[in-house]
Amino acid sequence: MDPTVSMDSHCQAIIQEFRDNLPVFKKVSFEIKDLLEKMISGCGKVHTNLENQLKAKDLTGAGIHVASIESRVKAEESLAGKLERKGNKYKSLADITDIIGLRVITFYIDDVDKVASAIEKLFEIDWENSVDKRKLHQIDSFGYLSLHYICKLQDFPYRFEIQLRTVLQHAWANMDHDTGYKSGVEIPMQYRRAMNRLAGMLELIDDEFSKMRSELTDYRRSVHNLVASGKLDEVPLDGDTFRSYLELKPFDNLNRRIASMNQAEIQSVSLMNYLAIFKGLGCKTLGDIDKIIKKYFEAAYQIACYQLGLTDLDVISASLGPQNLCIAYVLKNDGGKAGVRYLYELINGTSNGSEIWAEMIMDQARDLPFMNK
Amino acid sequence: MKINTKRQEGIVTAELVGRLDTPASQEVGNDLLVLQNDADKTIILDCTALEYISSSGLRLFLTLRKAASQKGGKVIVKNINDDIRSVFMMTGFLNLFEII
Repeated sequence: MDPTVSMDSHCQAIIQEFRDNLPVFKKVSFEIKDLLEKMISGCGKVHTNLENQLKAKDLTGAGIHVASIESRVKAEESLAGKLERKGNKYKSLADITDIIGLRVITFYIDDVDKVASAIEKLFEIDWENSVDKRKLHQIDSFGYLSLHYICKLQDFPYRFEIQLRTVLQHAWANMDHDTGYKSGVEIPMQYRRAMNRLAGMLELIDDEFSKMRSELTDYRRSVHNLVASGKLDEVPLDGDTFRSYLELKPFDNLNRRIASMNQAEIQSVSLMNYLAIFKGLGCKTLGDIDKIIKKYFEAAYQIACYQLGLTDLDVISASLGPQNLCIAYVLKNDGGKAGVRYLYELINGTSNGSEIWAEMIMDQARDLPFMNK
Repeated sequence: MKINTKRQEGIVTAELVGRLDTPASQEVGNDLLVLQNDADKTIILDCTALEYISSSGLRLFLTLRKAASQKGGKVIVKNINDDIRSVFMMTGFLNLFEII
């Protein structure tokens, strides 16, 4: 049955206005979502069909990594329900502020404020109707924390709502909603207490995640400085430090020397997989890798000479230098065939080929000058 | 040098027959590089009947692999003989490809 039949003519007119404008709402909803995606997650100059309707003139992406951006146009049944409950409150459809709704879900609590700031620059905000639920809580209460902005485009008569929250606040809001109670006061006391305890815990976790990100940023900055200043023995080997180390291009000299043999082209490849390999060889600091480069530079070159010297191969991978350094290290440290095979498994994953290549290397090793020193 | 290509259930298989040396790379390069259009899929380079590969041939493989990594596909190199395996190892490109 059509839910609007029992409505008065005023509410029916609002519903009709909604139906007439539905295609426009869908289009605008899509365009705002597209704009938010570009302005929040994107970097550089942003282009949009809404350009003339925005407060901001300089549209540059903020480069914030968010969990998701969602949009929806209110369902007619939901609108009808709202009008049934409080139809007299609305003179026209334009008085309803959430016909178009968007939600930005961030990973970190401090990103909520960054996204909010981007939205404030982008749209006219209807401050009277916008709510920062984070500020509504008493100091002794917890609950659903979220920021709701009611926004306006310059030549569009309908306002729209943007909700901002973290993934944990989103989880809380969904769980809270799932209880079936419309407001906190309806929940039986013992369950309200349990929900508040969970809300408090999630708030604490949100803060801890932000704190951890901030500390990680400081750590990365400090190790980057240590790497740049050459104090490699003081820098523990991990993903961040190895990435910083690779920026110094530590294997370039060796690769260039190898390439010069056949005037070969060096193809750039990611060397991050060598983090696990150097760790597998027992390196604990960047200084340990640096020592391997210095100590086995000549040996790694000899391996390349032996293998490539009589070929006309004139393209090599930038991983050839570290690969040969690791082979030289294993051979000189009595790793034997098992050690070389293990190394190839680290480089290429487990395959039958590792056994064959290990045998080939052991055969070649007998003729390599550095092995006879 | 011949390349026989077949497409089946989202997988493109190119069977390489002969020697992929510099002249052959120029001759069949376009036939191989046209597979870049399928770079969002799995491309199998069946090397069972491939006898030899030169730097030029290696570059063709690398171009395909680059296109696949950009478009979310992958390149699998199948049944390479020991000589070709050595070429991959000596040049450091072994771990760039899934070799089966």
